[in-house]
Amino acid sequence: MAVVRTHFDNNAEVGVFSKLTNAYCLVGIGGSENFYSTFEAELDEVIPVVHASVGGCRILGRLTAGNRHGLIVPNSTTDQELQQLRNSLPDSVKVKRIEERLSALGNVVACNDYVALVHPDLDRETEEILADTLQVEVFRQTVAGNVLVGSYCTLSNQGGLVHPRTSTTDQDELASLLQIPLVAGTVNRGSDVIGAGMVVNDWTAFCGQETTSTEISVIESVFKLNEGQPSAITQQMRASLIESMT
Amino acid sequence: MVQYNFKRIAVVPMAKDFIDVILSKTQRKTPTVVHKQYKIGRIRAFYMRKVKFTQSNFNEKLTSILSDFPKLEEIHPFYSDLMNVLYDRDHYKLALGQINTARHLIDNVAKDYVRLLKYGDSLYRCKQLKRAALGRMATIMKKQAQSLSYLEEVRQHLGRLPSIDPNTRTILITGFPNVGKSSFINKITRADVEVQPYAFTTKSLYVGHTDHKYLRWQFIDTPGILDHPLEERNTIEMQAITALAHLRAAVLYMMDPSEQCGYTLEAQQALFENIKPLFANKPLIVVANKADIWRDDLTPEKRAILEVMARDSVDETILEMSNKDDDDSVNRVKVTACDKLLQHRVEQKFQTKKTDSILNRIHVAEPAKRDTLERPPCIPVAALAKRQQKKQKALEGDDGENDEDENEDGMMVDGGRPTRNSTKKKSEREIELEMGDDYILDLNKKYLVKEDEKYDVIPEFINGHNLADYIDPDIMKKLEELEKEEEMRERAGYYGSDAESDDENVKEIHELAEKIRIKKKLMKNEQKLQGTKKSVLPRTTEPKKRERSVSRLKREFEDLGVDMEGTDDAHFARTRGRSGSRKPALKKARMDSEGRVRSSSRTPRDESGVRDPSMKKKLGKLQKKVQNQKFNQFGKSGEGDRHIATKMPKHLFSGKRGTGKTDRR
Repeated sequence: MAVVRTHFDNNAEVGVFSKLTNAYCLVGIGGSENFYSTFEAELDEVIPVVHASVGGCRILGRLTAGNRHGLIVPNSTTDQELQQLRNSLPDSVKVKRIEERLSALGNVVACNDYVALVHPDLDRETEEILADTLQVEVFRQTVAGNVLVGSYCTLSNQGGLVHPRTSTTDQDELASLLQIPLVAGTVNRGSDVIGAGMVVNDWTAFCGQETTSTEISVIESVFKLNEGQPSAITQQMRASLIESMT
Repeated sequence: MVQYNFKRIAVVPMAKDFIDVILSKTQRKTPTVVHKQYKIGRIRAFYMRKVKFTQSNFNEKLTSILSDFPKLEEIHPFYSDLMNVLYDRDHYKLALGQINTARHLIDNVAKDYVRLLKYGDSLYRCKQLKRAALGRMATIMKKQAQSLSYLEEVRQHLGRLPSIDPNTRTILITGFPNVGKSSFINKITRADVEVQPYAFTTKSLYVGHTDHKYLRWQFIDTPGILDHPLEERNTIEMQAITALAHLRAAVLYMMDPSEQCGYTLEAQQALFENIKPLFANKPLIVVANKADIWRDDLTPEKRAILEVMARDSVDETILEMSNKDDDDSVNRVKVTACDKLLQHRVEQKFQTKKTDSILNRIHVAEPAKRDTLERPPCIPVAALAKRQQKKQKALEGDDGENDEDENEDGMMVDGGRPTRNSTKKKSEREIELEMGDDYILDLNKKYLVKEDEKYDVIPEFINGHNLADYIDPDIMKKLEELEKEEEMRERAGYYGSDAESDDENVKEIHELAEKIRIKKKLMKNEQKLQGTKKSVLPRTTEPKKRERSVSRLKREFEDLGVDMEGTDDAHFARTRGRSGSRKPALKKARMDSEGRVRSSSRTPRDESGVRDPSMKKKLGKLQKKVQNQKFNQFGKSGEGDRHIATKMPKHLFSGKRGTGKTDRR
């Protein structure tokens, strides 16, 4: 099972309440452990699944940016929360708290283990820290005209899903920057905030409860989960996709 | 998208009930009392109101009927034709038209009678006019009895129609009666259509849904049709024809080469040719059912017929199928039908340029290489192992009794799913469910630190400073150094015991100081309790020493040698009376009957009725206490003050009594 539908206290925006990378998974502290255990069931004994909060908020998926090499948290993170993160994450993951005006780092940074797209107005210093801590190349970009690149796309090392209104030329440009295949799509029954609707790493993905089976099949193919291949979207699934979208 | 749901039409009452409802409503909702001595204007208004009210109620009800029922011109042609077949278009339109006319007539009656009422010159005449108006309205409605009951029937039937969406992916199953159409739909959907071994078991359209290729497909089971001209077809057959004619769907033409249905293969072919025009521009799949019966003994003639028919079918093949023993063949038919329809629909969508807006979403942007750097995915070995394990398990499950609870991809996963494997670690959700309200999230449990250090308490603040600011990575090393230094000092005898000599002295001083402090505190408290604001005497003014006292006298006298024995009761203080020198009073005190003169004897008011001085003292205290209460300080009103709670009690100033009718007192 590589793609899992779940919800956080009945909210389908799972990308808001969790952060998934190839080295760790952060999960917001909710009313019940249902959400946490969905991740635990999939990822336990592979990577640490950690309860966390950032600045007292559980929307840590939108507030943090990170990959296998590191984790960047905003200035609002308290010392205790930082302590909790450092205690729970492996030593190979560098945790860094930064002073950045655009403090919802998850919304302004989209990254995998090699490349990061960032908001055009991001601080220069932040950009440097990103490059150092996460060991990524940083590009200032927009996705379908949206500056919140983190909200409107989701990336892994194997593929990426972007805002449904991204033109094909933009897609091609982004793909060659990121060096991964990209597809424009939706999650949660047509929601265009991809970053909020799902989290993904190189071998598994979690998406909101509302996600349709067509959307899941696209996710599976583009992120190469379950032996899916992106080419399936233009071949076997093409008819179903056209039929379901018009 | 228009949703076709005819279940929401309100009930159409019978004519008699209709009238009763309206008239009783008029009775309930308009004034009922009128007297002939009223001014004529008032009487007219009274009756006009009744007429108008009744008319507007009739109008409202009839309008709601007219708007609830679907207009044949406005709904999808499929539904419009289906309704024509089932309820007869003319009859339906006539009924609605009559209702509309009745509405107009009632409006006119009301208008006329309101006009007449304006000239009513007495209560009696006005009343008769009202009676006539309401009577005529009721008569008009009574004449609509038939239309109303017809519409009610239509409503009930419409409500039970299957909710067919004419625009979605639809597959129509058609053919002679008893060829296995309903069995097929029961196999692939959960429509649960009745199946019986006689013709025309299915008398209306049935809908079932199934999933294929991430999409939902609507299968429609139609009643069987016989081979005769359109004009001779009955209502049941006509439903199938309507569906065939109006739904953009794939058609499954079901045949029975075994002829167990009671019709020859030639007849089935003839019907096929007959209704062929209806299949134009639709993917058509010819299915030869009941293969389990005819598979082995198919005559060459029949084979020839099937081959002829195959030319019209998609891919020029006839699909063999057996509902009875071959589920694979059933599934194959379903898949073929769905695929062909999908292909057909996509082609059409491309022609109409509907797909332009979503073309970017079926495009996979492949990266152009920009450098030689390899960017491989990094999947931990554990993840790969876990995946492999799962695959293994799934395989075993397939081989075995197939009880694997492995969900399919994308299925909703409940975190608290019970695991059969007891050795597996409990998930947090399971622990939470087990502990119920006692569950507390344990953040420390998964710390990646030494087991015995996980629950170490680390202070957040020390001496008003944030501890996190002082984190020193070399703290352990420094501590070790300090400890070593300390040890050396101890060994060198740095900590001698000469500091204990003057301890006693200091301790005493401390004790004394403590006593003084306590005493001071006590005194302070006492003063506070008494509430006195006395000025405290300065230490310099010492109390005057008593110079004369009995004991001193005695002592001094004893010193001088005077015997003071037996003077214990002596009263040394008594002085000699002055009676000898005092003159008698000049005037005698005046007395009245009670003994004293009133003027001199009137007791002050605060003493009158007071028993004795102790009581007076007590009263004085009480008085002081009362006067010191807060409200008095601020001039608040107390319970002794005059107070009117409500100036105008509502119950006395509201109600039906008009001004000047009655006096409440």
